[in-house]
Amino acid sequence: MNVIEVEGLRKEFKSYSSRSGLKGAFRDLFTRNYKTLRAVDDISLHVKQGEMVGYIGENGAGKSTTIKMLTGILTPTAGNVTVNGMNPHKEREKFVRTIGVVFGQRSQLWWDIAVQESFRLLKKVYKVSDEEYETHMKEVIRTLEIEPLLDKPVRKLSLGQRMRCELAAALIHNPPLLFLDEPTIGLDVLVKMKIRGFLKEINRKYKTTILLTTHDLADIEALCDRVVLLDEGKIIYDGRLDELQKNWVEGKQVHFEFQHPVDKPALEEISREYPVIWRQGERVNQWVATIDGEDDTVSKLMSVVMLHHAISDVKLNKVSTEEIIRNIYEEGIKHG
Amino acid sequence: MYYFSIFFQYAAQYLKTRMSYREDLVVELISDLLFQAVNLIFILVVFGHTTLLNGWNREEIIFIYGFFLVPYAIFSSFFNIWDFNERYIVKGEMDRILTRPIHSLFQIIIERMELESMFGVVTGLVIMFYAGSQLGLTLHWYDPFVFLLMVIGGAFIYAGIFICLAAISFWSDSKTDIMPMMYNIGNYGRYPVDIYNQVIRFVLTWILPFAFVGVYPAAFFLGRTEWYGYAFLTPVMGVVFLTIAYFMWNAGVKKYRGAGN
Repeated sequence: MNVIEVEGLRKEFKSYSSRSGLKGAFRDLFTRNYKTLRAVDDISLHVKQGEMVGYIGENGAGKSTTIKMLTGILTPTAGNVTVNGMNPHKEREKFVRTIGVVFGQRSQLWWDIAVQESFRLLKKVYKVSDEEYETHMKEVIRTLEIEPLLDKPVRKLSLGQRMRCELAAALIHNPPLLFLDEPTIGLDVLVKMKIRGFLKEINRKYKTTILLTTHDLADIEALCDRVVLLDEGKIIYDGRLDELQKNWVEGKQVHFEFQHPVDKPALEEISREYPVIWRQGERVNQWVATIDGEDDTVSKLMSVVMLHHAISDVKLNKVSTEEIIRNIYEEGIKHG
Repeated sequence: MYYFSIFFQYAAQYLKTRMSYREDLVVELISDLLFQAVNLIFILVVFGHTTLLNGWNREEIIFIYGFFLVPYAIFSSFFNIWDFNERYIVKGEMDRILTRPIHSLFQIIIERMELESMFGVVTGLVIMFYAGSQLGLTLHWYDPFVFLLMVIGGAFIYAGIFICLAAISFWSDSKTDIMPMMYNIGNYGRYPVDIYNQVIRFVLTWILPFAFVGVYPAAFFLGRTEWYGYAFLTPVMGVVFLTIAYFMWNAGVKKYRGAGN
C-alpha cells in the first residue's frame, strides 16, 4: 500500500490586486479585482513505504503548499489526499500522530525552556510511554549528538544545534512518515552531513518514509533515489535521480578561462566540427563548453581551443545536478 | 482526561518558567493592583459629586466592579488571544499548532495562559466582601454555587467574543484595531446598564453582551429582583456565545491560508 496517495490535488489562493491612486482606493472599497492564483495545480503523487523522495522546485513553485496539504495544515481546493490511510485535514488530530514534521524556518520547541523539557511536553502530547521513549529517544539523542544540549534553553542554541534538536523532537513518537521542509537551510557542511547520515539511518532502521524539500541539491543527491520536480504548481518530472542525470547529460563541461577577450562566433568557428554548445561563464573571459560525445572529442576540442587562444585556466567537470535543474527550468523538459 | 493531563503539564511548565523570573512576577502583580486601585478611585471620584447613580449607590457600584474582576481574571488568565492575528497568522505559528494532535484552540489557550492574572479573583473577592458588608448583605448557602455559575458564564461570554474576533483573522489577516477597542467596550459592563441610552443597552445585552459579565449577575447578589431574569440568563449566554465562537473557529481553521516562507 502507498503511504501517500495524491490524486488531482489543487490549491487556489484568492488575492485581490489594488487599483492605483486615491480614486482606485475608493473603488476598491466597493468592488475588488480578485485574482485566483493556482499554487498547486492538479498534482498526482504516490509514495511507497520506505521511500525517500526529494521534492524540489524554485521559490513559489508550490512545494510548501503541497507539504502543508499533505500534513493537514491547509485544506485542498480540489482533489483527493490520503496519507497513512487517512484524510489529513478531516482527521487532523488523529492523523498528525502518525507523522513527524520539521519546518526549517520554524521552531517546534519552546523558546524559553530547556530542550529536555520541550521533549517531555511533546512526549505527553503524543502519549509516548516511558519505555518507548527510553529505547527510541536514547538512540536518537545519541546519533544526533545532542546529549550535552538537553539542559540548555532553545534560545541559547546555535542554528545547527537547534536544528538537530528539532529533528529529534519530530521523532519523539517514532512516526512512520517524516516531512522535512528545508531541514538544512543555513547550516554548515558538517551539520548537514550529520543530519543526512541520521536520516539515512532512521530510514534504514525503521523504514521511515521521508519527503523532503530543499534548495541544497547535495541533500537530494545524498539521500533521495527519487525526485519530484515542481514548476508553477505542476509536476514536471517524477522519477529516479540518476535517470534525470542520464537523460540530461551525456557529456562533459569544460570551463575555459582566456587571457584575452574572445567572442562566441570566434569560438564556434574554431570548434565547428564538434558537437559543442558555448556559453558565457560567470567571470569575464570565462566560457563554458558543453560537449556531447566521447572523451576523445573533449581532448580534441581542448587542443583546438588552446591552439587559437591563450588560456589562463581550464577546468573539466561533469554537469552538476544543479546545472541540470537550472536547464530544466530555463528550457523545460525536452528529453522526457 | 487527556486534555486535563495536558493542561496540567503545560500549567506546571508555565509556573516553573515564571518562578525563575520572580522579580517580573512581583512587578506584574503590583502594577495589576495599581491599575485596579485607579479604577476604584474613579468610582469614588464620581460619587464625590453625587450619592446615587440612577438609583444605584456607591457601594453597589463598587460591588459590581468587584464581581466583574472575577470572570475577567479567569478570562485574562486563559484567553490571551488578542494578539492571535500577529502571533499565529502573520508569523505562521499556526502551522506548528496544526501539526500537533490537540484541538488548535485548546493549544493556543494552554500556550498563552497567564496564570498570574488569577490574582484578580482575590482582589475581586476582597472588594465584594468589603462592599457587601457595607451594604449589610448576607450570604446564603446557595450563593457560592450561583456565584460560580455566574462567574463561569461571564468568563465564557468574554472568551466567546474574543475568540470570534480572533477567528476573523482566518479570513482576513489585515491588521485591525478592533481588539483594544473591544477591551474598552468590555469595561462598560462594569456599570449599571440602565445609566446608558437604549441603543447601548441593547448592544451590551444582546450583541456584545458584556453586561452579563458585570452588572446583571451582580444584581442577583445585590438582591435587585427586577434584574433577576437577566441574571439567570448569564450562564445561558455564556454557553451560547462560546459555542458560536467554537464553530466559527473551526470554520476559520478550514480557511487558514498559511504564511509564506
